Amino acid sequence: MLFGYLDAGSGSLLLQAILGGAAGIAVAAKAWRARLRGKSLVKDAIAESEAGATSDQASTEP
Amino acid sequence: MASPDPGSFRDPASKVIIDEGRVIRLLDQRGLAAWEALSASPFLAEAVASGDIVASAPIDYHHDGAAGALEHPRLPLITYPYEWTFSMLKDAALLQLDLLERALGAGLTIKDATPFNIQFDGGRPVFIDIGSFDKYQPGEPWLGYRQFTRQFLFPLMLRAWAEMPFQPWLRGDMEGPTAAQMRQILGGRNRWRPSTLLHVSLQARMEEKMSGSAVRGDLKTAGFNANLILANVRRLRSLVDSLAWAPDAEGWTDYHAWTHVGRDRQAKSEFLTSVIGRLRPRTVLDLGANDGHFARLAVDHGAHAVAIDGDEGVLDDLYRRSRGVSLSIVLTDLTNPTPSQGWAGVERPGLFQRVRPDLVIAYGLIHHLIYTASIPPRSVLQWLRSLDAALALEFVAPGDEMVTKLTANKLGHELHPGRTEDEFRRTLDELFEVKAEQSLGSGTRVLFELTPR
Repeated sequence: MLFGYLDAGSGSLLLQAILGGAAGIAVAAKAWRARLRGKSLVKDAIAESEAGATSDQASTEP
Repeated sequence: MASPDPGSFRDPASKVIIDEGRVIRLLDQRGLAAWEALSASPFLAEAVASGDIVASAPIDYHHDGAAGALEHPRLPLITYPYEWTFSMLKDAALLQLDLLERALGAGLTIKDATPFNIQFDGGRPVFIDIGSFDKYQPGEPWLGYRQFTRQFLFPLMLRAWAEMPFQPWLRGDMEGPTAAQMRQILGGRNRWRPSTLLHVSLQARMEEKMSGSAVRGDLKTAGFNANLILANVRRLRSLVDSLAWAPDAEGWTDYHAWTHVGRDRQAKSEFLTSVIGRLRPRTVLDLGANDGHFARLAVDHGAHAVAIDGDEGVLDDLYRRSRGVSLSIVLTDLTNPTPSQGWAGVERPGLFQRVRPDLVIAYGLIHHLIYTASIPPRSVLQWLRSLDAALALEFVAPGDEMVTKLTANKLGHELHPGRTEDEFRRTLDELFEVKAEQSLGSGTRVLFELTPR
């Protein structure tokens, strides 16, 4: 992790998106919804890319 | 012999050591890569040229396996935010935000946001922690936001909105007030200001709800970008800009209007000028500097002056008049000066461990220590002797009009012995050599030029 020596505070980090204006509120909402669903967007993204890679392989098979 | 700066150890990538008075920054591999990114950007050269960032020169210096080393110029005096006035902390906050905005424009970021990374030189703030800059990684939030609110924004809000001095808080808790604490403090209409709702109430709520959650990856995946940081920084700047504090007239702001001050000022200035002319001091410490008249006189005669006072109003005014002047301003109560504190009790050294004067001015001071603060006269002189410098001292005798005011509600037996002129001179002779003396027109005040025995 970069800059790991400073504890930036999870709530304060998410708040920054909101403080970034309308575009930021959309970003914060997306990150927040993922949390409410009990998922992490990062894990979702990894899972999606892995699933995509598997289906690509499947489609190229004769 | 090189010794580590006791306040520079938190960031493993970059730490400062002092080697025979030289200020040297040692970088590890990560720190060196960050320096290379920073120094390759025109942003650094511009900010150094404008005086916003301290100069740095790469040097060939081998120490403890460091990957690289930089040398910085030595500043006349390191001061801490709990020794600053409102306008000083505000200017430091604006510099922090301005540098972050300019850094982001150059593909860089500042990885923390603490006033301990800023010092005052020539009456203006200068950013000294080169190690705080790093390459900006796309999608990363500003990790210093919470720290900025706690150490800059909330202290300024305390003074501007709640009439509470921030220095005792920062001296007691160097991390600054939390959002949850600010939510408790700000009442009435301050509670409902949009800035309070966002930076205080919402931050406190989100901190409570999300403590310990890993959100950086989620923010990045959700599309966080540098423009969101910039929008936040610009709003914070206009918020900080709007915070104002006007000291009330109850303090010492009108000091020069008092009769004894105006009457004696000319004679005291001439006496000090002759002392400075003889001693040619490099650093002059003015204790109880008030409007800075005598400190400025020392600067006019080629010295660097350190103006110490316990009144934020007069020092804030002095600060605003001292741009470009070789003057350090320190807000501290001389009966309780800044102690050493922080990690291991040495991270932030006490005031009198940092100041090394050649000449000390103690004009209009000792009667306040003796009569208002009830410090025994002998103890006052022993303390002045401990500063180990020449001394320009004003003695104020018991019959003086000011002493009469200060002791109006004290009975004779409640006052310390040793305060009459004869007794005072005996103690003075034990501790100092009297080089010159001059009675003032009032007949109750005497100026002394002293050197330590």
